[in-house]
Amino acid sequence: MAEFSLIGKSVPRVDGVEKVTGKAGYAADFSLPGMLWCKLVRSPYAHARIVNIDASRALRLPGVKAVVTGKDFGGWTWGWMPATRDEPPVAVDKVRYWAEAVAGIAAIDEDTAEEACDLVDVEYEELPGVFDPEEAMKDGAPAVHDYAENNISVQYHWNFGDVEKAFADAYIVREDRFATSRATKGYIEPPATLAYYDPSGYITVRAAKQSPYFHYRHLAACFKLPLSRVRVIQPYIGGGFGGTKNDSLAGDFCAVLLSKMTGKPVKYVESMEEELTTSRRRHNMITYSKMGATRDGIITAIQHKVIADGGGYTAVGPLSLYLAGFGTTLPYKLDNFKYDGYRVFTNNPMGAAMRGHGVTHTRFAAECQMDMIADELGMDRLEIRMKNSIDNPAPGTTYTTINGVTLKTCGMKEAFRQVAEPYWHERNELPKKEGNISWGVGVSGAPYLTGARQMGHQACAAIIRLCEDGTVNLITGATDCGQGSDTVLAMIAAEELGIPVSAVISQKVDTSYTPADPGSYGSRVTVLGGQAVQKAAQEVKKQLVEVAAQTWKVKPEDVDIRDGMVFVASDPDKQMPFDRMARVACYSGTGAVIMGTGYSTYGLEPLGMESGYGNAGVSYSFTAQTARVGVDLETGQLTTQSFTIASDCGRMLNPLLAEGQIEGGAIQGLGQAIYEDFIMDKGRTLNPTFVDYKMPHSVDIPEMKLIDVETNDPDGPYGAKEASEASHVSTPPAVICAIHDAAGVWIKEQPATPEKIVKALKEKAKEKAQK
Amino acid sequence: MVTFYRRLPKFDYLAPQSIEEALALLSRYQGSAKVIAGGSDVVPKLKRRAMKGIDYIVDLKGISGLDYISYDGAGLKLGPLATVRAVERSDVVLETFPMLAQAAESMASPQVRNRGTVVGNICNAVPSADMAPSLLTLDAKVSVVSEKGSRTVAIQDFFTGPTKTVLSADEIVTGIEIPNPPANSRGKYIKLTPRRAMDLAVVGVAVMVTPENGICKDLRIALGAVSPTPIRVAQAESILKGNKFSDELIDQVAEAAAEGCRPISDHRASAEYRRDMVRVLTRRAIRELLSDEAASAQGFGKGA
Repeated sequence: MAEFSLIGKSVPRVDGVEKVTGKAGYAADFSLPGMLWCKLVRSPYAHARIVNIDASRALRLPGVKAVVTGKDFGGWTWGWMPATRDEPPVAVDKVRYWAEAVAGIAAIDEDTAEEACDLVDVEYEELPGVFDPEEAMKDGAPAVHDYAENNISVQYHWNFGDVEKAFADAYIVREDRFATSRATKGYIEPPATLAYYDPSGYITVRAAKQSPYFHYRHLAACFKLPLSRVRVIQPYIGGGFGGTKNDSLAGDFCAVLLSKMTGKPVKYVESMEEELTTSRRRHNMITYSKMGATRDGIITAIQHKVIADGGGYTAVGPLSLYLAGFGTTLPYKLDNFKYDGYRVFTNNPMGAAMRGHGVTHTRFAAECQMDMIADELGMDRLEIRMKNSIDNPAPGTTYTTINGVTLKTCGMKEAFRQVAEPYWHERNELPKKEGNISWGVGVSGAPYLTGARQMGHQACAAIIRLCEDGTVNLITGATDCGQGSDTVLAMIAAEELGIPVSAVISQKVDTSYTPADPGSYGSRVTVLGGQAVQKAAQEVKKQLVEVAAQTWKVKPEDVDIRDGMVFVASDPDKQMPFDRMARVACYSGTGAVIMGTGYSTYGLEPLGMESGYGNAGVSYSFTAQTARVGVDLETGQLTTQSFTIASDCGRMLNPLLAEGQIEGGAIQGLGQAIYEDFIMDKGRTLNPTFVDYKMPHSVDIPEMKLIDVETNDPDGPYGAKEASEASHVSTPPAVICAIHDAAGVWIKEQPATPEKIVKALKEKAKEKAQK
Repeated sequence: MVTFYRRLPKFDYLAPQSIEEALALLSRYQGSAKVIAGGSDVVPKLKRRAMKGIDYIVDLKGISGLDYISYDGAGLKLGPLATVRAVERSDVVLETFPMLAQAAESMASPQVRNRGTVVGNICNAVPSADMAPSLLTLDAKVSVVSEKGSRTVAIQDFFTGPTKTVLSADEIVTGIEIPNPPANSRGKYIKLTPRRAMDLAVVGVAVMVTPENGICKDLRIALGAVSPTPIRVAQAESILKGNKFSDELIDQVAEAAAEGCRPISDHRASAEYRRDMVRVLTRRAIRELLSDEAASAQGFGKGA
């Protein structure tokens, strides 16, 4: 393996200083002269027909410049796939979830726009709503969309091997119902946009999007403009985590249309309460899990029936439901697998993508059930995992699962080995009970995919332009929404070019100039964007080396660049600083324009969504985790004391950033495991603030020990795979299994709140008394 | 109509220089004026449009000398601008009324505690107000003035319902007086929250006990977040008073406290869980106060 100058080093973030000193500009920080403010009128019903909208009172309010309603978008609808384009920018004939937008206002300031919202008279005819996905599937349930029979938005039925035979032959079969919560991303930057529809027919927006090119396509389609007339400029992004910032929202569409109508720039900034009430959240999924095993604890079959609450529209739901099925055959060997997945329309806010997308729901079910089986067999919970875990394929070979997922590297077993000693095996030497607190340790394993495949455009691309002072412009379509990819991509360019990271200037996405890219979507940027940057940098290097070779009259293969010097290794007289060689190239003769381009080539196999067969990603990461949790047996309060996380993320390109991501993923998973859930009442979110939607605070975070299990995947730049979605997925089962170890109760519905724990303890005591 | 948090509504901001001037303003604007100190409760309520018809904000912060925390041997006096943080960090509070400091520390974030006041916390009068249970066990007295005169209200009589108090629109709370607790008494506030900090109380239990030779000379129990107002549970208190401490009696007290509250079910917890937790935490608080460690860590004594 070549020795690297930068790869594998903890290079500080290139944007860290700007961010912590408040100099980084986010979408809401931008203003334009003459700018208007957009606010949305939202429905007070979760399900209602819109009979009439009268905006005349609002339009008479001084300062109000325009009002748009759903009808003004000419019947255009959109969605993730051609077959699921069921979402209008603003509700047209009926509203399908509480606080869905029904009109947009543009006014001279925020106060006037807010006041005007109250003056739009909307006449509704309330319809019976349906809020429980299992109820929604029943005959006679209120129909959310006329086109969807029994409210089924998407369904998959896959059958690999022979589960029936496997269950019949199994020594032990368990059936349990598990559920995940309605969780949200919890970023601190709510959606925002500043839009200008130039009267000559160009749209320019600065918007908080982690996939700016999705937004660019939505705007072009909605406003019937060529893509080349839509310019989405990406500012700094304050967190993404999937879902909302991949997509376009009512406020985005209204701001553009209101700008078109008024000829003025229009700004829209969503309030956090609006965000927490209406925006795309993680699907809560119910998993009916049936698992069979031999007497020795070999898992022989899994059958999952998944019911996902899709809310009012389809959005990215087909992918969510697909991933919930696809992920079940990892990280353990499995010969028989059946999946029946249903995503169901309800009158709740939309279920969509979030970190750990899809996989988290069914992995939680399977990990808990594996423990239940191990307990019944009297087997150690780590041992059953070691026994079933997929082995690391020998270099040059692949492992293929029953549903056609191919692994070139798999550090799962090694990760389990790493958490075994001392964290798992020494757990019994730690105190089991201290006062009212009972301690327990849980263990879990989880996979995640790198670079979720797309239905359409898959590749990431990069352009690198050499400047005559020896710096380079790095131009990609990749979006750093906080994960640190701008730093990693700059490191890759610098590594390949033999220059310092500070000489690489990253340009943020501007759809008029940067290459199309899916953005931060499915853990793809470091691997696919990274490959593109690597290739572009290699091309620049090749061109510069040719200039050097001509200058020194040597062969190009004798020239190298490292640590800012261009040199001929065999001749110490032939060396020149990189910036001087850049000037030689730019100024000699006609002057060269040195520019390199590259695009990713990993993961080109299409998604087999209907068949469930084949790969969902480019490569697969793995995490083994233990969690030590204390349960107050009287109050149900939890103390999460420690996490040990062994991660196979291929090769860590920047350990500082990768570890930050892995820890962040785990903390977000902890929130989901024990705190986070939107409490709903007939489609209305009762806890739309961070007072009552509880995420872990710094003081709630356990001590974390991270272990790097390096596997060096061939399908990733320098061997990299995704980092942090796997730790996000492994955390909830590790915590829930630890609670069981501590208190002897299974909390099968996330989050494991103190109240649920107390209730379970009471029931257990009652059962014991009856025996 | 759906109203989320909005920009602040329009109002006139008034900054009187004296209590008299503030009272005159309240009297003049008859209910369309609202007093603020830290504003950490009022401002979000205004943004939420949960407080209607407020045309004037009367900010007390411009009046000097109202942030006092003073102790005169007979008791503690807190001014209306004494912040939660100041009470939490005050030497005299820590030494003489540690339960108050403990309750103060349990609230919100340091930033909010630097802004919000103890008087504001009780005037906001949510059932979960963290300062209330401790003040209830300490038999605090609230000084109230208006242009018509002044009065003193026992904290037990101060709260009249969720976010409601005995205060009329032209009155201002000018201070809280807290008499010395009984000699050898010890107090403790247990706040039940899902997270370790920056959470609202699901249940709050304040207990003050005065043991004497194994006999319970005095017992005071106050509960937060389990009734329309923070409450004392006299029935539960009476079970132990004058009797020898025993596990059985402590259990009976805890049971009576649980029966003495009227919790609701909401998105934070069910009534059943809240009631169960009153039982658990009342018992826990008494037991912890009786243990020797608790005596040294939480004990009163120097005050009387």
